[in-house]
Amino acid sequence: MDAQRAEVRALEAEIAALQRACEELPAPWEGTARVRKSFQETHQSDSKRWESSKDLKSHLGHLKSELSFLSTLTGFNIRNYTKQTEDLAKTEMTEEGIKKVLQRHRLSGNCHMVTFQLEFQILEIQTKENLSSVITDLNIIMEPTEYLELSEFVSRAEERRDLFMFFRSLHFFVEWYEYRKRTFKHFKDKYPDTVHLSEGSCSSCMEIHSARRPGFELVIVWRIQMDEEGKVSPKLDLLTKVPGRALELDRNRVIETAPQNFRTLLGVLGIEAALESLIKLLCAEND
Amino acid sequence: MERAHTICQDGVSSGGVLAHLERLEAQVNKSHKKSEELQSAQAEESALETKIHQLRHIRDKLRAEVKQRQARANASSANVEPDQTVEISEQDVLERKQENMKAILQAYHFTGLSGKVTSRGVCVCISTAFEGNLLDSYFVDLVIQKPLQIHHHSIPVFIPLEKIAAKYLQTDIQHFLFSLCEYLNAYSGRKYQADQLQSDFAALLTGPLQRNPLCNLLSFTYKVDLGDRSFPFCARLLYKDLTRTLPTDVTVTYQGMEALSTAWEKHRASHETLFCTVPLHRVFASFSREGEKLDLSLS
Repeated sequence: MDAQRAEVRALEAEIAALQRACEELPAPWEGTARVRKSFQETHQSDSKRWESSKDLKSHLGHLKSELSFLSTLTGFNIRNYTKQTEDLAKTEMTEEGIKKVLQRHRLSGNCHMVTFQLEFQILEIQTKENLSSVITDLNIIMEPTEYLELSEFVSRAEERRDLFMFFRSLHFFVEWYEYRKRTFKHFKDKYPDTVHLSEGSCSSCMEIHSARRPGFELVIVWRIQMDEEGKVSPKLDLLTKVPGRALELDRNRVIETAPQNFRTLLGVLGIEAALESLIKLLCAEND
Repeated sequence: MERAHTICQDGVSSGGVLAHLERLEAQVNKSHKKSEELQSAQAEESALETKIHQLRHIRDKLRAEVKQRQARANASSANVEPDQTVEISEQDVLERKQENMKAILQAYHFTGLSGKVTSRGVCVCISTAFEGNLLDSYFVDLVIQKPLQIHHHSIPVFIPLEKIAAKYLQTDIQHFLFSLCEYLNAYSGRKYQADQLQSDFAALLTGPLQRNPLCNLLSFTYKVDLGDRSFPFCARLLYKDLTRTLPTDVTVTYQGMEALSTAWEKHRASHETLFCTVPLHRVFASFSREGEKLDLSLS
């Protein structure tokens, strides 16, 4: 019986090694694992299809333009994609009539300045009545990593295995990010002496101070927030720095209520007009 | 062994017989044990045999699979007619590229937004999912002309397509598409929760689930059982924000005759909070799990 147990162990080890070998070798592109053509067969039929490699090249041209179009349409540029399919009926004892396929996908690309790398698994279960597809695992790596708002959001997306929410929210985040960058740059260009971007145009803060009003400084902090459902929204706050003497003179408590009033101003004028009105406050005598 | 002593005291030297009997008894016990052991060993053996059989079967299948894949991988570097070598290897490279591009085109589906160029313009496909479950897909067929027009679509009538199109379609097509994505995914998610509630937790509902096609207004009655007492509740969930899968307004009312005790009032309030923060079907999953817990916490 020891011999039998040893054989069981040996068989299990062999099966594990064979599974690893299977994973390393390329699997067919088609999801339906039954359809298998050897490379030579595919190769020969394709070479009958293409009159010359010129045709193939023009087809490639079409594909390239389609890809470029999709990239423009969605805002996502997918550079690389691989897929592995594992027919679980081979390694799991599945009941009659139920087909289980595990797909492993690897996708990488970028959306403007953010690059992403995703690895996810989809389990497809086909019964007589229906076909269900469930994302069973999701791993996301995003660069650059200094966007703190993004890293929190990424772990939430992974937890929920919500692939589409990740892309949707990424799109809206990047949209707001680019808008903030454009807006800050616009004001920097228009009022170069008054507007200061200490971290460059990608910063989340815009400082307003002028040599004509020394000691006074207004800082606009513009954060891009994401909530639990992945909804992206801007959050702007005003910070003030004034000389002590000015505070004493401020009987109407304008400075104290400034942050609150700024939020009201945002609601009334919108972001750009609200920011411009603040900038004009401190450079009233410029042109 | 008492018997042995008594007999020995009589002086008869049958200690030998008894000892012999004892030895025989021990032998019988031993052989019984042995046969039991043998039986269980045989059972274990035959179980192992079956397992070995199964494992061999799996191993053979995997061997065949690996062989096939290996053959294909080898074929790609197999020898070809010498005079065709140069041409084919260029074609080979181009075909690889083609396969790669086709795959990337397919991969766009995983962003939730994908499209195909048509003779008129583009047909966009929007996929939806909720908590990892891939759900329905919808399409919008756009005609590229000034102004941009929707030729036809499969968007349900209660999704405000015209409103979203009026706002974004002409100025920012990306925003139009992603906004539509938001609405459709949220609708899919709400529908999924309501469907799950109806299919998996019908036992906890005391009446039919009332729902509208947009799945943003749900009304149902459910009960929480505690021993022989039953606490009926009525819940009304309103999802004002159509881009969300959680309700904005929840009212849970107690339906019993008597007034609600403070402990149960706390429960009612906690239910309201639960419905606001946790997907519907998962709230009910926790109800069915906590049925026993409630028994212990309240007396």
